[in-house]
Formats: sequence, structure tokens, C-alpha cells
Amino acid sequence: MTGEPASRQPAPRREVVTGEPRRVRPLPRYRAQAEIEEQTALGDAYVRSLMRSQLRAGLTAFALLALVAGTLPLAFATLRDATAVWVVLGFAAYPLLTLLAWWYVRRAERNERDFARLVKGRPVP
Amino acid sequence: MSQSYTVTAVTVVVLATVLVGGFGLRISRTTSDFYVASRTVRPALNAAAISGEYLSAASFLGVAGLVLLHGPDMLWYPVGYTAGYLVLLIFVAAPLRRSGAYTLPDFAEGRLESRAVRRLVSVFVVGAGWLYLVPQLQGAGLTLKILTGAPDWFGGVLVALVVVVAVAAGGMRSITFVQAFQYWLKLTALLVPALFLLLAWQGDGRPRVDLDLTAAVVGRADHPLYATYGLIVATFLGTMGLPHVVVRFYTSPNGRAARRTTVIVLALIGAFYLLPPVYGALGRLYVPELPYGTDADAAVLLLPERAIGGLGGDLLGALVAGGAFAAFLSTASGLTMAVAGVLTQDVLPSRGVRHFRLATPLAMAVPLGGSLLVSGMPVADSVGMAFAVSASSFCPLLVLGIWWRRLTPPGAIAGLLLGGGLAFAATVITVSGAVRSGWPHALLAWPAVWSVPVGFLAMILVSLATRGRIPPGTNAAMTRFHLPEVLMSGSRKGSASVSAAGPGEGTGSGTGMGGAG
Amino acid sequence: MSGAALAVLIVLGPLLLAGGFVLGRRTARPERNSDVGTPVERATFETLHTASLAAPPLRAGLTEESARKAARRLRSLLGTDALCLTDRERVLAWDGSGEHHDKQVMAQVEGLLASGRGTAFASGCGDLDCPLRWGVAVPLTVDHRVLGTLVAYAPRESAVLARAAGEVARWVSVQLELAELDRSRTRLIEAEIKALRAQISPHFIFNSLAAIASFVRTDPGRARELLLEFADFTRYSFRRHGDFTTLADELHSIDQYLALVRARFGERLSVTLQVAPEVLPVAMPFLCLQPLVENAVKHGLEGAVTTSRITISALDAGAEAEVVIEDDGVGMEPDRLRRILRGEGGASTGIGLLNVDERLRQVYGDEYGLVIETGVGAGTKITVRIPKYRAGVHGT
Repeated sequence: MTGEPASRQPAPRREVVTGEPRRVRPLPRYRAQAEIEEQTALGDAYVRSLMRSQLRAGLTAFALLALVAGTLPLAFATLRDATAVWVVLGFAAYPLLTLLAWWYVRRAERNERDFARLVKGRPVP
Repeated sequence: MSQSYTVTAVTVVVLATVLVGGFGLRISRTTSDFYVASRTVRPALNAAAISGEYLSAASFLGVAGLVLLHGPDMLWYPVGYTAGYLVLLIFVAAPLRRSGAYTLPDFAEGRLESRAVRRLVSVFVVGAGWLYLVPQLQGAGLTLKILTGAPDWFGGVLVALVVVVAVAAGGMRSITFVQAFQYWLKLTALLVPALFLLLAWQGDGRPRVDLDLTAAVVGRADHPLYATYGLIVATFLGTMGLPHVVVRFYTSPNGRAARRTTVIVLALIGAFYLLPPVYGALGRLYVPELPYGTDADAAVLLLPERAIGGLGGDLLGALVAGGAFAAFLSTASGLTMAVAGVLTQDVLPSRGVRHFRLATPLAMAVPLGGSLLVSGMPVADSVGMAFAVSASSFCPLLVLGIWWRRLTPPGAIAGLLLGGGLAFAATVITVSGAVRSGWPHALLAWPAVWSVPVGFLAMILVSLATRGRIPPGTNAAMTRFHLPEVLMSGSRKGSASVSAAGPGEGTGSGTGMGGAG
Repeated sequence: MSGAALAVLIVLGPLLLAGGFVLGRRTARPERNSDVGTPVERATFETLHTASLAAPPLRAGLTEESARKAARRLRSLLGTDALCLTDRERVLAWDGSGEHHDKQVMAQVEGLLASGRGTAFASGCGDLDCPLRWGVAVPLTVDHRVLGTLVAYAPRESAVLARAAGEVARWVSVQLELAELDRSRTRLIEAEIKALRAQISPHFIFNSLAAIASFVRTDPGRARELLLEFADFTRYSFRRHGDFTTLADELHSIDQYLALVRARFGERLSVTLQVAPEVLPVAMPFLCLQPLVENAVKHGLEGAVTTSRITISALDAGAEAEVVIEDDGVGMEPDRLRRILRGEGGASTGIGLLNVDERLRQVYGDEYGLVIETGVGAGTKITVRIPKYRAGVHGT
């Protein structure tokens, strides 16, 4: 896949060239952290409150899922109604899961929007 | 027999995979349309790719086989495979993408700043990947045996070879398009025959399908209720740790896109999983004589010929066979890529593409050996074990790593070793067949119910006992995980964001390139 | 009190004292073969331990916070009633009693700060209950500069304390010197990075503006577009935030660069970009590809009479992204290229290549240096490998 024109005769040859090992140590970690620090200046408290609101949204969705998934097998075992199992697990479950996911994403994105507004509304440090 | 059609379909799928992998389906563009067109992978395309890679032999063949054999309780498998993505979305998707990690070991190192944790996670990634690869190869062997009468081992070896060649030769370039295509192929390969099957069933005067629980051919477990719960815990919490799933999230341009992608994945996978139960139910009607054990997995493959017959049945059967092979190949290549990547980076000495090529056969050899040694296990069941290991090790690591500031490296190690290690040990004992009945068997075959809490507890308790070891960069990492992209690019890009900040500021300029637009 | 009782007391007192003394010596006598160490050894260990505890805060340099943490340890090291650390302007930390003295400290060490020689003084405290009657001040020096002082107080004059304070100050000075060393090393690396950041050549700016100017009359719309590209491109190249970017941003910047170059050379340059979208989010060092593309453009235009082809591809290679920049231009003499990569190429040539090679090695390690395939008249192919993840490398 060399892009040489065939007209050039004889075809010049390429050699592989690399720099010599410099035994450089990769940059120390703290440099990268200093960079992130710029963002941390936004304030730990702010990030914590964002995390709390996101976790609340997540736990709400998860609790709903866990509650349903936790009780359904028991319900099936006591009902012993095969058609119900087919209807619930074979069809109804998927749209419900997708809806729950959609609800969560909306809520999580709203949290982030509110947070961004909150942070941007504050005087620049 | 429909052998020639089947062989053709399988050959086409195999050849396409090799060619696409080897030569690389490259997207060539001139500079002018580069910026507009290739602003990273769109969520819908990425979602189709994730689904294509995720829907494995267990989904394509295994689910229908289990439903056929053991009744509707087995529908928890596809529900669990889907719900796993919901849990992943809720706790992991966006922060994981924002962490910038490509693999789970990357995440562990970035979050906990410890090489030791990184290495341990690598071992588990390789272990879980291998566990997941075994059933893919077994499924391939079974498929070819049923359809062409080839010996048991042939299909597995064929898939292993194809994947190794494709991955090692080209690193499966531009894999997103291939995988996305595989999803639609798999969906078509199940959907079209299913429609014809339903028509045939209609034409037969709608014989009653025996849906009853009591009709189960054989008892599946001594403690079915416990097994169901074990299955639910493993699949709900295990999806987030599967190596080929995690790697795909890197392709999303940012956390927000990762979240949206996951919702689409849920919809796509959900749509697919409406089909296998149809095969399972009709299978009870048309292939009731299917022998016990793994061969029930062949129900999907045999149904078109039995229910429809003739040339149409043969062609539909060939379509299903092609889809099944697409399933083996896509999942197996995704897993092999992920495992080989971890092997080169963290297990084998030194780095480089050449080593990646060396690692690929190794990544495939072990599960191939495993699949030849251990046979006689339903495909979906062995996949369930990979989920259990993942749920007991990676789930605590990811969830606590993303949401809990007090996690320490010793805590993570303790949780991985206890939770993941015990689940792994239980798997090994089950596969070895040392314990075959009663509560001990149930507990070992579906370990997630106890091993997941053990993993979480160990991580939390040991972390609390080693407060002094909280990594210094924890707060910075948390900020990176959770801060919305709007703020990230805004604070960093400085003057660049001035030009990007149009009237729709705050909703639009999320992507890395958007900020500079 | 009777005389007899007094006599008994006089006789018994010394006797009791003597007995107590003997008993005390007996119990305190060092046990030579003890495994747990003699009291002297134990005291040494304690001193060493205290000193080791005081060292980490001092390694951060002499600040209010580090002084506060260190002062506590240093005071217990010296066993004094009060200890004070100052820099050249003010009191940084006071540990122990009598904090009301801190107002006078700076006046008392004024001479010391000028001369760099230790001094002792009577505290001259008006409060008669205050135990701090005497103080000794010693300099903390780094590179012969007096950075601050250490002041120790005692109830009365004490040569032992004066000597001990001198030794402790010397030890603190060594720690501060190490801190200074740490800091200058960091500064050095940062300065290096800043210097390493590719500079856009003045030629390019001049040529671009000239090309844009040529369109102003003939095609004002195009001129405006190009000017915007130019503004965007320079803004990106001159940005000051962060050392890292994403491959997407970098490629975008290259796209703008090429648009500007094409404005000048038009059809003589044919560029193909092949980008696997999977690798666009990869984080990488800022401005690592642009100099390579600039190189390819230069080589391509140098010799070719006809169209020069440049191919830029970014591929997904497992845990890495692989960027290949290839041109069919004049190529380079391998030996000369080797010299350039060794840093012996002279001032003007190949600075961009060397610069990129060094930065890649610095960030990712030696195995991620540039791989260049070239020969005279054979074109050039440069391969850059970028790990998809490296701790500490986060692009935005």
C-alpha cells in the first residue's frame, strides 16, 4: 500500500526508522491530577450533590425493578398459571424494561441540566 | 436433506466475516465531508453493534431449547439478559464512559490507582471471557452436527479458526458496522422463519400448544425457585462486567451518548427476545421427540424443516443456520478481541501489535480445549455461569467504584477474590460434576444469590478497615465520572466554547468535537 | 515542731534520698542484652520516628499548612515549651504555650534574616507567669538563601537547646531543599512540555493569510470560510488548557489545516482520510499529528510536479488506535532521519518529528515512539500508535 507511482524506476526502497530508546519514564501521575484539579475547583460539594441526585434516580429505578423481579417468581409459583408466565415474561417484560430505562435517562439528563445551570449561575471562582 | 443450502449459508457467513475482518471495511472519505459525516458513532448504530455482539448462541439457540425442554420458567433467561442492560444503564453506563477506560482493568487502575487491582481484574476478565466463549464453540459444534452430520468438534474448531484468523489478521477493523449488520442479520434470521412457522401453524388448524408448567419434560432442578432467583441475580447484575460489552461503550463519544445508546440496546434486544420463545413453544408441537440434554438447543434449527418442509423449509432452515453462525462468530470475535487485548496488555510481557496477534490464538485455545472436554451442558446454562462470576466480581467493583468514595484497593481485592473467586470455584465444581443433586448442587450451580452479597460485603468491610488506603485521586475521579459533558468542555475549552455556544447551549454541544465546532 | 523530730528528719532524709537514688539507678540501669533496646536506643528510635513524621509535610515546602503540621513534631523532637516557624515575612506556625509572643517574633529575627546567623534573646515577657523567658532562633536555608527561621523557647537559657535547635534547623533545611528539588523537577517537566508543544510556523500563517487574501476579490464567500477555518485552527493550536485532546479534535484541526493548504495549492494536493469512528474518542497528547501532516505536505509538494497524494488513516487496533500518515513525496534519507530523531539534525529541519517522537515517548513510554518508513524518493509512511487508555491521560 505504498502510494508510489509505478513510473519511478527502479523503485526506491523504504527503510524503517525509529528513534532510539530514551528510557523516559512516563510522566508522573500528579501532573495529570493537577489538570483535573481545574475541574475539581468546581467544588466537591457540588459534585456530591449531583451524585446524590443521580444515585436517587438510579436507586428508584432499581428498586422498582428489584421489587417486580423479586416477587414475580413467587407469584408464578403460587399461581401456577403458565399462560400468565408466557404473557408477562415473553412479551410484557421488554416494553416495560425499555420504558423504565427511558424514564431513567430522562431523569438523569434533567439532573445534569439542573446541575449545569446551578454551577454556571454561580460567580466564577 | 437441506444440507447444501445450509452449508452455503454457513459458508457465506464465514467468508463474509473473514473478508471483512481481514481486509477491513474502511470508511474512506475526502476531507470535505469528514467533519460532518464522522462525528463519531451515532447511538443508534452503536446500539445495534452492541446488540449484535451481545446476542450469542445462548440467545439464538439456547433460550428456545430451554423453553422447549423446561417450560416458560426459562423465559427468565432472556428477561435477565435484557434487564442486565437496565442495571448497567442505571449504575454504570455514563460514568464508565466518562472514566475514559477502554477495558475493566483500565477502569480499576484509573479509579483505584493500583497496579495490583488492575492485574487481578485482568485475570477475572480473562476467566469470565473464557467461560463465555466455551458455550459459543459448543453451540457451533452442535449446529453443524445437527445440520450436516459433521463430527461434534468440527463446528467449534471452525469458529475458533475463523475468529482467530479474522481477529489476528485485521484486528476486526471497523467492527461497529459489521456487528451492527450482524444484529439485523440475526433478527431477520429468526423473524422471517418465525412468521412462516406461525403461518404453517395457522394452516395446521392451530393445534393447541401445551404451555403448561407441568408439561416440562424433565425436572430442571431440585429447587426451581432458588434456581430462578440465582438466574435473576446473575443476569441482572452480570451484564455490566462482560468484557465485550464494556469495550463497546468506549465507542460512544461521551457519557450522555452512552446512556442513550443503552436505552436503544434495551429496545433492540427486547425486540429480538420476542422470537426465541415462539420457537420454543412451537418446538413442543413439532419436534417433541428431541432428545434430552444439549440437543434441545437444536430446536430452532430443526423447526423450519419439520413444520414447513419442502424447499421453503430448507431455505428457511439455511437462513436460521446462517444466523446462528453469525451469532457464534460475532460474540466469539468480540470476546476474543477483549480477552486478547487484556492478555497482551496485562498478562503477557511487553506490548505491540505483534504480541496482540500472538495473544489471539491463546485467547481462543483455552476455551476451545474447554469446549471439547466439557460437553453435555445446555448452552444457556454455561453462559449463566459466566454471568454469575461477572456479577460477583465486576458488579461490586463497578458499582462501588463509581458511587462510593471510600473504596480502597485492599477492599477491591478482597471483594474480587471472595465474591468472584467463590463464584468461579462453584462453577468449576459444578462443571466437574462432583455434586449432582440436592441443595449443595443448587447452591453451586446458581451461586450468584450468595456470592454477589459476599463480594459486596467483602469490598465494603475491608475498605472500611483500611481507610488509610483511600486513593488520593478519588475525588478527582468522582468528578470526572459524574460531571456532565457540558461543564467539562465548557471549563476546559475556554475560548473555544465561545464559538460553540449558540442559542441551544447546554443541550447540544456534548461531543468532544462539538466544543470546537 | 520539736527538736527531736527535726533531728530524725535530718538523719532520715538523706538516708531516704540515698535509698531512693540507689533504687532508681538499679531500675534504670540499662540491660545490656535486652532485645527491646536500651533506654538510649529507645530514645534514639523515638527521635528518629518523630523526625520521620515531621519530614513528609516539609517535603511540600514551607507553607502555613506544612509548618503547622511540622511544628508539632519538631517541638516534641526538641522537648521545648514552645516552637515557632516563620518565613521571611510572618509567623507560619506556633506550637506550644505562650502564643502571645508571636507578635514580637518577627522583630526578634529581623537581624537573623539579614545575616543568616543564629541568635538568642531574652523574651522580655511582661507576664511573670509566662514560662518563656529565653529563646533561640536559627535560620532555615536553601541554597544559601534564608527561607525562614525556627525559634525555640525555654524557661531559661540553655546551651543544649541552642545546639539541638541548630541541628534540627539543619535537618529541616535539608527537607526544604528536597522540596525545592521536587518542585523544580516538576517545573522542568512542565516547561519542557510547553516548549515541546508544536509551534505553528510563521510561514504557514503568512502563506495562509496570503492565500485567503487572494480569494477576497475573486471569491469573497470562500475567503470568509477560509478565514473562519483559519481562526478555528489557530485557536485550537494556541489553546492553553490541558496537555491532552481527543483524536477527533486533532483530526478536525488537521482537516482545517488541509483546507488552508489546499486553498494555496489547489489540485496539486490530494488527501484521503480513512477514519474508523471507533477511535475518535481516544485521548492523546495535544498537537501530535499536525506536525506529521505538515511534514507530509511539505515532502509531497517539494518534488512532485504532478499531484501529490497524502493518506491519513486512523484505525482501530484492539486496545490501541493506529494512525498512519503516508505521502508519495520526496522521502527522506534514513540516516539523516536517524540523526534528526537523535536530536542532532540541526536547528531548522525536522523539529516537528523529533518533538512529536519525544512527547509520545514521554507520555506513553519508549515503545510508543514514531515508526517511520522512508527512503529517498520513496515517500514516507509514519505510524503512530496511541493506547486507548492510559492512567492520567484524559482528553476533553
